Amino acid sequence: MRWSDAVDPALSDLVAGYRPVPGVHDELVDAEGRPRAHWLPLLARLAALGRPEVARRFAGADRYLSESGVVYRVYEDGRDFDRPWPIAHLPIVIDELDWQVLAEGVEQRARLFEALLADLMGRADLVASGALPAALVAGNPEYLRPLSGVAPADGHFLHLYAADVTRAPDGRWWVLADRTQAPSGAGYAIENRVALSRALPEAFEDLGVERLGPFFQSLRAGLAHAAGAAPEPRIALLTPGSGNETYFEHAFLARCLGFQLVEGGDLVASETGVAVRTVAGLERIDVLVRRIDADFADPLELNPNSRLGVPGLVEAVRAGRVAVANALGSGLVEAPGLTGFLPNLCRRLLGEDLALPNVATWWCGEPAARETVLRDLDRLTLAPAFGRTLPGILDSAGVLGARLTRAERERYAGKLARRGVDFVGREPLRLSTAPVWEKGRLTPRPFAIRVFVARTPDGWRVMPGGLARFAEREDVRLLSMQRGGRSGDVWVLGAASAAARAETRLLPEPDKAEIRRDNGILPARAADNLFWFGRYLERAETTLRLLRGLDGHGDDGVLETSRDLTRRIAGMLRQGGAVDEEAVDALGLAEAAAWGPTAGSAARLVAEAHRTGSVVRDRLSPDAWRTLAELRDRLARAREDGARPLPVFDEIESALRAIAAVVGLAQETMNRRDGWHFFDLGRRIERAIGLTRSARAFTEADADADALDMLLDLADGRVTYRTRYLSGSARRPVLDLVLLDEANPRALAFQVARVVEHLATIAARREGDLIEPAERLARRLATGLETDDAALFDAERLRAVEAELRAISDAVTVRYFASGSPLPTDDAGR
Amino acid sequence: MRFDLTHVTVYDWGASTPVADCRLRLTPIGRRRQKVHASALVIDPLPEHAVDETDFFGNHVTRIAFRAPHSRLTLRSTASVTVEPLPDLDPKRSPPWEEVAARAAGATRLAPDDPVQFVFPSRHVLLTPAVTRWTGECFTPRRPILEALLALTRRIHADFDYTPGVTDVATPLARVFEERRGVCQDFAHLMIAGLRGLGLPAAYVGGYLRTLPPPGKPRLEGADAMHAWIEAWCGPTLGWIGFDPTNAILASEDHIVVATGRDYADAAPVIGILSSSGAQGLSVSVDVVEASPPAIPTQTAPTPAAPTPPEPRDPVLPPV
Repeated sequence: MRWSDAVDPALSDLVAGYRPVPGVHDELVDAEGRPRAHWLPLLARLAALGRPEVARRFAGADRYLSESGVVYRVYEDGRDFDRPWPIAHLPIVIDELDWQVLAEGVEQRARLFEALLADLMGRADLVASGALPAALVAGNPEYLRPLSGVAPADGHFLHLYAADVTRAPDGRWWVLADRTQAPSGAGYAIENRVALSRALPEAFEDLGVERLGPFFQSLRAGLAHAAGAAPEPRIALLTPGSGNETYFEHAFLARCLGFQLVEGGDLVASETGVAVRTVAGLERIDVLVRRIDADFADPLELNPNSRLGVPGLVEAVRAGRVAVANALGSGLVEAPGLTGFLPNLCRRLLGEDLALPNVATWWCGEPAARETVLRDLDRLTLAPAFGRTLPGILDSAGVLGARLTRAERERYAGKLARRGVDFVGREPLRLSTAPVWEKGRLTPRPFAIRVFVARTPDGWRVMPGGLARFAEREDVRLLSMQRGGRSGDVWVLGAASAAARAETRLLPEPDKAEIRRDNGILPARAADNLFWFGRYLERAETTLRLLRGLDGHGDDGVLETSRDLTRRIAGMLRQGGAVDEEAVDALGLAEAAAWGPTAGSAARLVAEAHRTGSVVRDRLSPDAWRTLAELRDRLARAREDGARPLPVFDEIESALRAIAAVVGLAQETMNRRDGWHFFDLGRRIERAIGLTRSARAFTEADADADALDMLLDLADGRVTYRTRYLSGSARRPVLDLVLLDEANPRALAFQVARVVEHLATIAARREGDLIEPAERLARRLATGLETDDAALFDAERLRAVEAELRAISDAVTVRYFASGSPLPTDDAGR
Repeated sequence: MRFDLTHVTVYDWGASTPVADCRLRLTPIGRRRQKVHASALVIDPLPEHAVDETDFFGNHVTRIAFRAPHSRLTLRSTASVTVEPLPDLDPKRSPPWEEVAARAAGATRLAPDDPVQFVFPSRHVLLTPAVTRWTGECFTPRRPILEALLALTRRIHADFDYTPGVTDVATPLARVFEERRGVCQDFAHLMIAGLRGLGLPAAYVGGYLRTLPPPGKPRLEGADAMHAWIEAWCGPTLGWIGFDPTNAILASEDHIVVATGRDYADAAPVIGILSSSGAQGLSVSVDVVEASPPAIPTQTAPTPAAPTPPEPRDPVLPPV
């Protein structure tokens, strides 16, 4: 009897076409093609749901990821862009005992690498005793000489370690690579988990899948512990910035774990410690979780060309004033050249046998190993010993010996003889397979799992699960999210107890969570970008509103824009840099200013808003962000190839609506702490400047009723004006409504009043009771607007007001955004 | 030979700069054949703090930080140094170069002066097959290493044009090699790259070279400049020996060492980070004079010539 005769026909149908690769271990079926027992509950669930329902749910998982803004940044054709996070919809199911073997093996490696780092960065006894060749350390680009002999402040090198594993043909786990520098992927693992557990909630419950939440709580506890005695440890996550491929994850983890997300430019460091430059002054950081490679961490002592690092960070580390996780230098033990030495090192350092084997590797710096590699080159891969590309010789992926021509072989033989130290030979990677859901069918795909281990105050803790990655084709030897492929979830069975299952959430249960209101301190750079995000959005809106005037759609039914008004609008657009020459007609003018190439065109301003916004993206709602990105792309396309689905004025209306949506979403979702104040401050100042310019342009020298009406439109004041005044538009009442009416949300006085409020609120967060220069300037301007008569606002006065607004903006910049404030000498720390 | 050294560096930040963090390697170090009797580093304006340290390779590093706005920075390093001449060497009796390479690869020490620290590519020294091949032409099988090194030193001198101004710190070695021109720093990096390509340990040396005025002309004060050359490890008996490819000579008693490392990045006289957007100017003057016997260690060093008008460039010292 075949196994399939005994089971549900729907289930056997599901597995019917599944053809594993011969000679390779498969997760789903055994060597006889029978599904493994621990997969049956999931398969039964899928069979019961039926293909259409399964497809619907998987589409739901994709939608969840897309709506959560889960992206991966990729580089293609010299351009980088966000790619939706591709997910394999089936989890890899692993049973409890099997997982235990893997988890213990990975934990052992964490202990091994910690001990190895402590030795190599310390006294290097392993080298002196001959257990490890000196060249394997000295030749490693991750061997940071400025930190040689320096013990980490918290006594540990590793806080998070990850191993990429797959299975040997006999089903045993083996390790493909070790990640000790700054392991990525734990955040994506959470998102995959949320997406899949939502898609298959019944199966998730039935199977008793181990939860991920406790792991992250442990990770956080371990990092807080690294701060030592600090009562309220301040932990920051150092990211290379929004251009990085895994920036999404940096922002996500920072938010989930309650860390401050910072870039190198946010920090100052010296022998007194590390601090974040915030709008409220310098704030000490106790623990720095780094997601930048060590080499880039400090331009003074490491790579001088780095723009990502923090000058003085190495000094702060040497002085023991900051714990870095993982410690600078931890990347040292990732080198493939070390692999062959691990079994011996493990016995020596831990007194244990290495539990998880590696793919067999020979370091060619040793004459005997070199001979072996040269002899067996046909069946081996030749790769760089330190994982980095050897320029002009070998890229980091290595080369298959079997693919070399005779001449190439001889060339490599020569290189190995001269500089064997740079090479390893290793057995080619052969990944085992697991099923993915492809067009309604189960299909085997090569995979690897990244397993994470975190240091906790009570020892290591393995994440029960991990980040699975699938190759898109069966013959792919390497996995990279950069090169395509999908990620997936790993379901570890065995969460039998209800208590374990109750721990479903990443963060503590809401009623048990510690209440924390402070959204974290606002870094000066983030404030700067929020401010300009506000200013650019507002400036784009002002420009578009001006263009709307060219359409001549007044409520009095005038269709043609009078020549005088066109001239005045064109003058304003030129002044704002939206157009650079005289346009022939209103339409040409509108198109040039909407998506022309000049720096002040609406398209360019929206792009600038997008750029500044991207720096503070973690503070914006995904909806606002998506709306802005769409608007930017739409305007850019209109410029590039004239692809305009709508006439120009319809495009302008649609762009104005999009901006209103972005601002509305930002207003509705942005936390009302410092960040929002800077965003709105930027908008108010920009709008106020726009108003002074408009007031000048549309009231100067014999302005006719059209011009005054335009000014009313810009301030949304026409209806109010008509109800207030029976006469037609006249200069003084129009100016009163547009400039001085504090009740009109688009009037100058209203903007200035908000500016004063924001500055007062922000200043209250800082110590000291002197009024800040920006606030003083704003108050003076507000008083003038309260007491003056509209008749006094001639061109000269308006120019003066504009200058005062600019002075306020400058004062804000100097006070809150300026870089280079000194770090106070503070001995009260650790 | 005993020398009095004066090395004055003036940075003109252009605009007032509130913050600057620097690492200075301007003080000569005592080492084999070189004794430093006295040294001083005068910094104007006074930095908020200045800390003297020794780096991994044994160089003297001064860490300075400014927290007060200033628009001009003057670094004035003076030292009194004695350098012993190199003992006589017999190139023919040095070991075959392959033996030296094998020893370096099999090293069991991680000490800063161990040859193993100097056989790998480094920030400014990438190994390229073309340079290795070219260098290999001097390193015929079993050739005694000193003989080969002297041949290479002469070959660089003969084949490359000394051309100031066409290269800077960021110029890739491949271009120097292709265009066959550059300055002392480029030649040093090139020679190091070639040697390491063959598996031979080679170190970068930054320092001063005593120059003699043309016959009949008076010495010009401040006319000297910083210089760069290399040291190659020639086996356990001979140890490290200095070669100056720019001048096709061995580094002997006219070469005064300030700092060494794997390449310029380890020995850079000034590495600085400043928060300034202004244009920057830099001028340097170096003065190396033979001390008149009997030298008094504390004697005031000669006054440097007035700095030449600064021209905008990156805040790094120009190599010779």
